[in-house]
Amino acid sequence: MNYLTRRLVTFPLVMLGVSVLVFISIRLVPGDAITAMLGTEAGLLTPEQRAALEAYFGIDQSWPVQYGRWLLGALKGDLGISVTFGKPVLDVILERFPLTLELALLSMAIALLIGLPAGVFAATRNEKPSDLGVRIFAMIGQSTPNFVVGLLLIYILSVGFGVLPVMGAFTPLFQDPLENLGQLILPALTLGFAFAASVTRIARSAMLDVLSEDYVRTARSKGAPAMSVLWRHALPNALIPVVTLSGVEFGYLLGGAVIVEQIFALPGLGRMVLDAILQRDYALVQGSVLFIALNFMIVNLLVDLAYAMLDPRIRLGDR
Amino acid sequence: MGKSFSGKLICGVALSVALGAAGFAVPAAAATLRMAWSQDATGLDPHKQTAFSSLRLLELIYEPLVRLDDALKIVPALAQSWEFSQDSKTLTFKLDPDATFQNGDKVTSADVKASFERLMAEETGAAARANFLSIASIDTPDETTVVFNLSQPDVPLLTAMTNINAAVVPASEIAAGTIGTKAIGSGPFKLDKWEPNAKEVLSANKDWAGGETSIDGIDISVLPDETAILAALRAKQVDFALINDPLVATLVPNEAGLRLDRTPVLNYHVLQLNPSRTPMTELGVRQAISCAVDRQDVLDTALLGEGKVTGPLTMPAYAIDPSQLFCYERDLDKAKQLMADAGYADGFSATVIAATGEPPTAAAEAQVLQSQLAEIGIKLDIKLMELNVYVDTWLKGDFDMAVALNGGRADPYSMYNRYWTKAGNLQKVANYIDDTLDDLMQQGRVESDPEKRREIFAAFEKHLAEVSPWIWLYTSYSYTAQQNNVEGFVPTPTGSLFGLSKVSVAK
Amino acid sequence: MRILRAIFTHPSGRIGGTIVGLYLVVAILGALGFTPHDPLMQFRIDRLQAPDAVHWMGTDLFGRDVASRLMVGISQSFVVAFASVALAASAGVVLGLAAAWSGKGWDGLIMRIMDVLLAFPAILLALLIIAVVGPGTWTSVMAIAIVYTPIFTRVVRGPALSLKTRDFVDAARTFGSSRYYILTRHLMLNLVAPLTVQVTLALAWALLTEAGLSFLGLGTQPPASSLGLMLSDSRNLMEMAPWLLVFPGLAIMIGILGFNLLGDALRDILDPKTRRVAA
Repeated sequence: MNYLTRRLVTFPLVMLGVSVLVFISIRLVPGDAITAMLGTEAGLLTPEQRAALEAYFGIDQSWPVQYGRWLLGALKGDLGISVTFGKPVLDVILERFPLTLELALLSMAIALLIGLPAGVFAATRNEKPSDLGVRIFAMIGQSTPNFVVGLLLIYILSVGFGVLPVMGAFTPLFQDPLENLGQLILPALTLGFAFAASVTRIARSAMLDVLSEDYVRTARSKGAPAMSVLWRHALPNALIPVVTLSGVEFGYLLGGAVIVEQIFALPGLGRMVLDAILQRDYALVQGSVLFIALNFMIVNLLVDLAYAMLDPRIRLGDR
Repeated sequence: MGKSFSGKLICGVALSVALGAAGFAVPAAAATLRMAWSQDATGLDPHKQTAFSSLRLLELIYEPLVRLDDALKIVPALAQSWEFSQDSKTLTFKLDPDATFQNGDKVTSADVKASFERLMAEETGAAARANFLSIASIDTPDETTVVFNLSQPDVPLLTAMTNINAAVVPASEIAAGTIGTKAIGSGPFKLDKWEPNAKEVLSANKDWAGGETSIDGIDISVLPDETAILAALRAKQVDFALINDPLVATLVPNEAGLRLDRTPVLNYHVLQLNPSRTPMTELGVRQAISCAVDRQDVLDTALLGEGKVTGPLTMPAYAIDPSQLFCYERDLDKAKQLMADAGYADGFSATVIAATGEPPTAAAEAQVLQSQLAEIGIKLDIKLMELNVYVDTWLKGDFDMAVALNGGRADPYSMYNRYWTKAGNLQKVANYIDDTLDDLMQQGRVESDPEKRREIFAAFEKHLAEVSPWIWLYTSYSYTAQQNNVEGFVPTPTGSLFGLSKVSVAK
Repeated sequence: MRILRAIFTHPSGRIGGTIVGLYLVVAILGALGFTPHDPLMQFRIDRLQAPDAVHWMGTDLFGRDVASRLMVGISQSFVVAFASVALAASAGVVLGLAAAWSGKGWDGLIMRIMDVLLAFPAILLALLIIAVVGPGTWTSVMAIAIVYTPIFTRVVRGPALSLKTRDFVDAARTFGSSRYYILTRHLMLNLVAPLTVQVTLALAWALLTEAGLSFLGLGTQPPASSLGLMLSDSRNLMEMAPWLLVFPGLAIMIGILGFNLLGDALRDILDPKTRRVAA
């Protein structure tokens, strides 16, 4: 597991890079926590008032000092206090994370449930009308911006049927599973739609590849039943690219789905970071980007490991 | 809380069943008002917060000494009565002896004194401090009497005190340093829970001195997309909502069971010119722009006509008929003539800044203005900016022109002293002042006779429109949408939601 | 020419190629100003008109002709998509080859920087870049390019690494070919297939990202139009004027469909043995 140790060593380096990048870029954006709070009224402040507020928001020191203080804190697990929430950044993130995680899992489940069978089915009907149908549907899914899907879903449900899940709130899964599912199903469908489309396409083309390989043809020529060839021999190998794709996509979703959260008013990570940027809540932006990056890297590491397990021919050495 | 809806099943609609019907709501019979808005409060410190969205929330929790009613008349809040001395240099309030804070303590003159001292202290960083600079000292002869001693006559002070920025907070909380982290006011509702940018849970304050509220509480959801708010209203998931975008608001009345209330507000849409930049330094150029802009057309296009053309003064008590103001009727020939006389017959290029989504119509306004000004050869380049970037740029006065939605006040002096007086804090944004404007403002500040004040400010308004440092366009509406079973909400031109204290929800 | 013919004998290639070709024609016409009406002209008395003989796709809030704006929007979206993908691909090729070719140190450094960019949430990265520089066409191009550069770098570096160790490169080296020649000739040839596929995929993604940025008010700036901007402007008018949503929506969908089909075809044509693994 030479590869694993090498990845683990570079882990902190990448995180350090992310921390520097987020720290600098959020401060390069014009405006600060004071203008975010006061808007144009900030112009009524005297210099003394401004200085007092800068001290209050912790932005009165030079950048290196601020960065040093933040980094030292972060190493001890203290990501600072969010000025909008008035709570430790880590608490705020951990409150929002369950929703994001659940939404990502649910979208992935929808994507795999629809995409895998559809892809396999299409592959067995290569270039026949039903294959074309699946492919065109998949491409529509991949090419429709998710805000269009989301807005249409909301519009059709509210105007056509007069029903809608409760928006703006989030009930934890273990508190009321049904209510929780009701809140997440539409956003999950919206995200899952495009996700399922990608899975379908990948599954189809991977399946086609595998079906043309020697060992599958051998199995077939030896008279193995078509279904058994398909599921027992071909599918496991075709899963590799599906796992890769799903993993990467899942990693992205763990960073929050800004636009879908915005439309469905879900208090998830994505919207939280967007709001934090708009309100110049530096500590919250920094902490959550760091958190998202960490998740992304962990997921990718797991994907690589899964990849190696599924396909022993691949040595992880040179990736 | 959290039982804002009961998990009843809706049958018959195949799709909803398929989607897991338990998550779908039917109108709740609870006396809790379910409310939605698109922009959440940004903080809980009533002295520091200035965003409309924060004020809307804090007005339900805190109380000022006096407040404005729906006709913009000053009415009692924490104070039962008040009186200016003969020379307008002392202002005395009698507090409501029943008023209590939500922690059970009585509201006393000491709390009022401590609150105003906090507001005035520079380390608080309260932007509203600028409105209270004439307060020299505060006396508290007894528990329920407060006397403000002023350094000079200041008639608009009383109006400034109606703002929630002048809320009275408990002296004990000031000492403990918990203003802004805990919201303990004396108002009709208590804040039980606040998740920023997600939701607020408010419950009725049973001990409110102002009477009894007929709802048990308010659950506020933040739905950032206003189309989603409309959808939630249609699905009867929300009883009451604030809407900012006129494009969305105009769809509400089409819906049976929903009602839209529009109230003209004091805030005004304006095209700010920057008279310190050439060629806006030229009076003729500024006037030409004023003549070339068809205000009604901008209103009709960008806001679907949802508003009213206005001059600089937007409060009904002072506003004069816009037709009496300089060039409020579009006159392209005059505009071209003025441009030519100023030496810009061929026009010029300039950049106009606007904030994305604030107001929602900003981008549309900029585009109509761009097309109108193109007719006299002015080529506008539109720069849309994220709100905070815009504010930063605006405060530095770093623009040729700016599309803005600026806050209005019930009193002309409090509304404009920041821009159109020589000592105005925002002179670097306005970049224009002359003796006439400054004189009229100072006269208006000390004059206590209402009729004379009106004359002074009418002259001020006419002069301001004529020298055209800015092109005032129109005022729009504040919208509240509600289910028909919500009764008794009275909106006010300040946009306050204080009227929710009188609202009831019929079963 | 050979590739063109191959594309048109391939079933999805034919459809995809035709769509992309049509869009290119429309985009060029739009860019040159051959539109039914002036796309910026505000016929304000005719605002929000449903499609009719004069305005084939109706008019928008300002009374501007939707069909004309769509044509200009397509060219604008294409400029953003092509420019950002071209930037990202070139940067990716240079960085990927440099990483693969140079020693361990540089390789590590370049790839770690790419890891940082990849781990940084993409839409936030774009958002921050735009917030710092200010929105505009070229800022969107830059932002999208920076987001995609690490992906291209990875796509190039992988094959480059394995090609580097293969015999023909060694052979070329022993025969005294210059470093530059090896790089360009052999590596590029063997990288064309995965790159082409990645490019068509990225073009589709770039169109979507531009739409997403416009939805957040950070993409193309009015009064110019792009497909994404038209779509996001239409959201609050969806009920009053559905044509404002339908036409740009279809235009985006069909356009991306075209890119995807073309990408599929190119993948088959250029390298039938390539694993059909898209990144």
